[in-house]
Amino acid sequence: MNHILKFNLNGDPVEVTVKSNEKLLDVLRDKLGAVSVKFGCGVAECGACTVLIDGLSVRSCITFAVEVEGKNVVTLEGLQADGPTKIQKAFIKHNAFQCGFCAPGFIVSATELISKNPSPSEEEMRHALAGNLCRCTGYQNIVNAMNEVAEDNRKGDK
Amino acid sequence: MENFRYLKPATLEDAISGKSEYGSRANFLLGGTDLLIAMDKGVVLPDAVIDLKGISELKYLEERDGAIYIGAAVTWTELLESELIKKYVPALWEAADLVASVGVRNTATLIGNICNAVPSLEGGAPLYVRNAVVFLEGKSGKREVVIQDFFTGVKRTVLGDDEMVTGLKIPVEAKFGEVYIKMGRYEGEDLAQAGVSVYVDGDNNYRIALSAVAITPVRAAKAEEFLKGKKLNPELAAEAAELALEAIAPISDIRSSKEYRIHMCRIMVKRGLAACVSRMETGLPALSTRLI
Amino acid sequence: MKENLKVVGHNAVRLDILEKVTGTSEYTDDIPFGPNLLHMAVLGSPYAHAEIISIDTTEAKKLPGVKAVITGEDYPEKFGLYLKDKSIFPVDRVRQVGEQVAGVIAVSYEIAKAAVKLIKVEYKELPVILDPYDSVKEGAVLIHPDLGNYEIEPWLEAQPGTNIGHLRRIRKGDIEKGFAEAEYIVEGEYHIPHVAHTCIETHISVSKFSLDGRLTMWNSTQSPHTQRHIMAQSLGMAHKDIRVIAPPIGGGFGGKAGISMEVMAAAGAKSCPGHPVKLRWTREEEFYNSSQRTGLRNKVKIGFRKNGKIIAFKHEMFWDVGASAEYGSNVVNATGFSATGPYYIPNVYIDSHACYTNNPTCSAYRGFGYSEFSFGIESTMDKAARIMGIDAVELRRINAIKEGEGVAYDVPMNPNGLVECIDKVAEEIGWGIEEKSDDSNKIIAKGFASVWKAPAMPANESSSAFIKFSEDGSINILVSGMDLGQGFITAMAKIAAEVLGLTLDKVRVELPDTDRNPYEWQTVASHVTWSCGNAVKRAAIDAKSKILDTVQRAHFIDKSQLYLEDNGVKCTTQDSFFIPFSDFVINGIQTEHNTWVGGPILGSGMFMPEYTNAMVDPDTGLGGNPMVHYTVGAGAVTVEIDKETGRMKVLKMAEAFDLGKAINPDLSKDQIVGGFVQGLGTALWEECIFDEKGRMLNDGFTDYKIPTIVDVPRDMNPILVEVPQPDGPYGARGHSEHTMIPVMPAVANAVANGLGVRISDVPVTSEKVAMRMNDPKYREEM
Repeated sequence: MNHILKFNLNGDPVEVTVKSNEKLLDVLRDKLGAVSVKFGCGVAECGACTVLIDGLSVRSCITFAVEVEGKNVVTLEGLQADGPTKIQKAFIKHNAFQCGFCAPGFIVSATELISKNPSPSEEEMRHALAGNLCRCTGYQNIVNAMNEVAEDNRKGDK
Repeated sequence: MENFRYLKPATLEDAISGKSEYGSRANFLLGGTDLLIAMDKGVVLPDAVIDLKGISELKYLEERDGAIYIGAAVTWTELLESELIKKYVPALWEAADLVASVGVRNTATLIGNICNAVPSLEGGAPLYVRNAVVFLEGKSGKREVVIQDFFTGVKRTVLGDDEMVTGLKIPVEAKFGEVYIKMGRYEGEDLAQAGVSVYVDGDNNYRIALSAVAITPVRAAKAEEFLKGKKLNPELAAEAAELALEAIAPISDIRSSKEYRIHMCRIMVKRGLAACVSRMETGLPALSTRLI
Repeated sequence: MKENLKVVGHNAVRLDILEKVTGTSEYTDDIPFGPNLLHMAVLGSPYAHAEIISIDTTEAKKLPGVKAVITGEDYPEKFGLYLKDKSIFPVDRVRQVGEQVAGVIAVSYEIAKAAVKLIKVEYKELPVILDPYDSVKEGAVLIHPDLGNYEIEPWLEAQPGTNIGHLRRIRKGDIEKGFAEAEYIVEGEYHIPHVAHTCIETHISVSKFSLDGRLTMWNSTQSPHTQRHIMAQSLGMAHKDIRVIAPPIGGGFGGKAGISMEVMAAAGAKSCPGHPVKLRWTREEEFYNSSQRTGLRNKVKIGFRKNGKIIAFKHEMFWDVGASAEYGSNVVNATGFSATGPYYIPNVYIDSHACYTNNPTCSAYRGFGYSEFSFGIESTMDKAARIMGIDAVELRRINAIKEGEGVAYDVPMNPNGLVECIDKVAEEIGWGIEEKSDDSNKIIAKGFASVWKAPAMPANESSSAFIKFSEDGSINILVSGMDLGQGFITAMAKIAAEVLGLTLDKVRVELPDTDRNPYEWQTVASHVTWSCGNAVKRAAIDAKSKILDTVQRAHFIDKSQLYLEDNGVKCTTQDSFFIPFSDFVINGIQTEHNTWVGGPILGSGMFMPEYTNAMVDPDTGLGGNPMVHYTVGAGAVTVEIDKETGRMKVLKMAEAFDLGKAINPDLSKDQIVGGFVQGLGTALWEECIFDEKGRMLNDGFTDYKIPTIVDVPRDMNPILVEVPQPDGPYGARGHSEHTMIPVMPAVANAVANGLGVRISDVPVTSEKVAMRMNDPKYREEM
């Protein structure tokens, strides 16, 4: 069954023909060019395919494309429309990634966290990012970068 | 994955009539976190998928008439962010915190969790100790089923082919303490190898439920009876933990041996009893404290 | 003489961080190939060991959208890095579950998958061997009956008529006399299961065979030149006609070393000329059909003098290399030479067997076998320390190998800072200081291990580099080492920048493309900083010499007075003299006669160790010099353990490695942290679990648990020690793999120290700790 799917991708309206059984991950990558969204496991366990749907992080590998009709979908491409965000700048400063394949998913998850909780404690932050797997870094530099973001936001509150 | 008809009804009525039309050849879609994976593996091959996310009637989370009402479309994240749940159903709040990961909790639902009915389900034990009541609705009308009667086996429930769960309610209690403890292989995302909920009220009535150690969640009736009216001490807790083991029938699989599951259930019940009594009296240990 | 270094040894943000953090790194799957792209899917065997009776592809070929269906009939060639025992598609039998028996190329992946289901294969099941001990039993079914006919490197010792793909023996000194003189003899038997690399990016290749006979491949790989070479051999093509491009890679860890599925993609492309063909593994295929880490069953026996000195050492290793030993044979070889650990021992007996089994094929995995064998050695060392009443760290100090002492194959050890590593780790972890948990259910214990590792490579592995200047004085460095995330390109940039007086913003390092970039053996063995670093340094020196020649000729200043700094040329005798590179590196320098001197500056460099020799006596392992050098180090953990549940939390870690010279200290420390956590996964949770038919029961992240951000220590302490490597660039040697090696034994030793229970089979799960805690069989008296 084909559907003409309309939604907002990174702020712009898009229209694309999809079958019911197509995954959002594949439609974003293959039909809409949003290749920052990665295939890693296909079963929502690695976090590499994480995108924001109406502001919430979602695993695009276990989301049917038809489910986002009328929604706002944001990928890493959309987050940095005005240049690297504060989170990205911290990740750059702390050499937060090695191979970088998990980076888009991490940044999307981190963005959701900071939008809900601008200055999380380290343990809150770790808990929120526990669904994103990284095999290279041992996570320490990601933690250091996020701690810096949280600390900076804490100061900003004062 | 095979193609299918995608339906997105706006009303409960349309959803139920869609389901009646397809019967067992249709699946409801909420978070889809279990359904998509099952479809990918070819375990479930529906002709139609009925997306319930457009039905506003299923999106409620409220306290009324002495109970907490949770609609089918309420996600784990919404439970976790709800002050009502944290205050009135803290064991369920703890379970929500332990479901998969944020990206899954944002779409996955408690109702989807119980309908999927895998033994390792996170939502089972916390609902069992609260005698939650599940609302079913189908072509032939509505009915209510207490949670202990809802599950009939591994991935099996009392739901008819034309029926859906629209929500559930949990009675509000005055003075109580409760806890949910999950046994996973590590702190990161994992399916429970065992789950224990323990509840106590001001009159020393105890309720103990265990999940992932039998084909459905179970209540440890003997242990509850043994403890009834008694003020907890370590010896009683240890004895009750032994009695609780009589209620379970764990298996050995790649996640854990049967023996270790039993070993852990004994410890979890014991520590769970101490923690819920202490929570009732002092509020400690804090929610989401790792007890194992 | 201490060099005054301006770039090397200073921290810098990695050169490729911006592209990683902005998601602009174009991994292979991200490259657009247009509507002409075809997709490939393969049919894997359901059996671990079976004869192939027939394959019927008729129905699959009929499915609309299918362009080709290929089997071993079309591509019967055997291939392999060291031992050609692997089939592109097998014709005779399958040797592991998931082994590909046919491939379908179609206009969509969906159609290719559907066609795969239409292929009918008739098998005749054969007995299955899943344990290396069973593999070497008398009368065991032969997994490779043709072993004697396979092409093999001359330094490997296959044992035709058995299931042993390679046997490395070491016989140094007099082992019997050694044990006779020992006052203490301590033994242990250990088991290490298969584990998986689990790169977050699964294997992928896009291959295109043009109608003019040229094969172009975009591969997620650590080994572009090695892949080109194997492809040329197995497809009968000229090297010049094959182009392997290595886009950014989403994790390697050895899993993308050598070649595995890429050869199938090439075959698929050859069958569909003119189309790019994409083959991308699913997560399940990644577990089965790329490679895993070798399993090991080993017996360690160590004889000590009263003073703690090791006098005799016997180590028997039975490696589970899986269905193919094409690469795993070298794991067996390298560890055969090195399985003493970093200790000086006069009498050594080592047998290292590559045992074929019907488990998935194993090849390189970060640590190349050293993690596996070090578990047994370091566990036995701790046991011995307890028996002899010597402090476990002190025992390692007593035996630490020093420069000049003979290693197992009796060649002098290179300069090293092992004792310094041991001391620094012991100090950081607070060795000997008791700690108490504030939870009465829990205890806190510490565990220690010291390790070494040498790059495992053919004696004549080599690297090369080009450096070319552009008009603005910036350079492109062309090398074929791969940046796997370890910081390779940053290291190469810094080495060239140091020699050429450049600032880092003037340097770009390209990822490999075999048409453009010169030869590199592979990015494996933690050797590229050392090997390719030497090539880059030489290329930079070559370019520098051309620069100095040009300036000398144009300005009549003797080049001994010229030096490079601040992106240009300066003079030691004239303070005001400065010519920026941008003035002349392309167009030369104009003379007073208005003629020109010079021209485009480029440099080339190569490196190959000329002192190594792999041709040892097969009976003793002596007479050669198979390893270039060892990197040494130590690691320790502080673990909180629940006395009832057995659940463990690693609170703190410290690891120190002697990397000779840290080209970029921050990134070197990142390697220690990352490698430690990967090691922690294998110590506590990771294990490929198979049923009795050889089917993997946890071929996904649901049940193959790798560490998450909540499972790692909150207190991680990487320490760098620098005793220069004489032939390393600025004294550097590699250390990226080594960081994993101490973790398994350190954790097991902590559990033994804390609870008196010795876990000899990893992973050290909570279940094992809890259920064995009170079992006398596992007691280690405290």
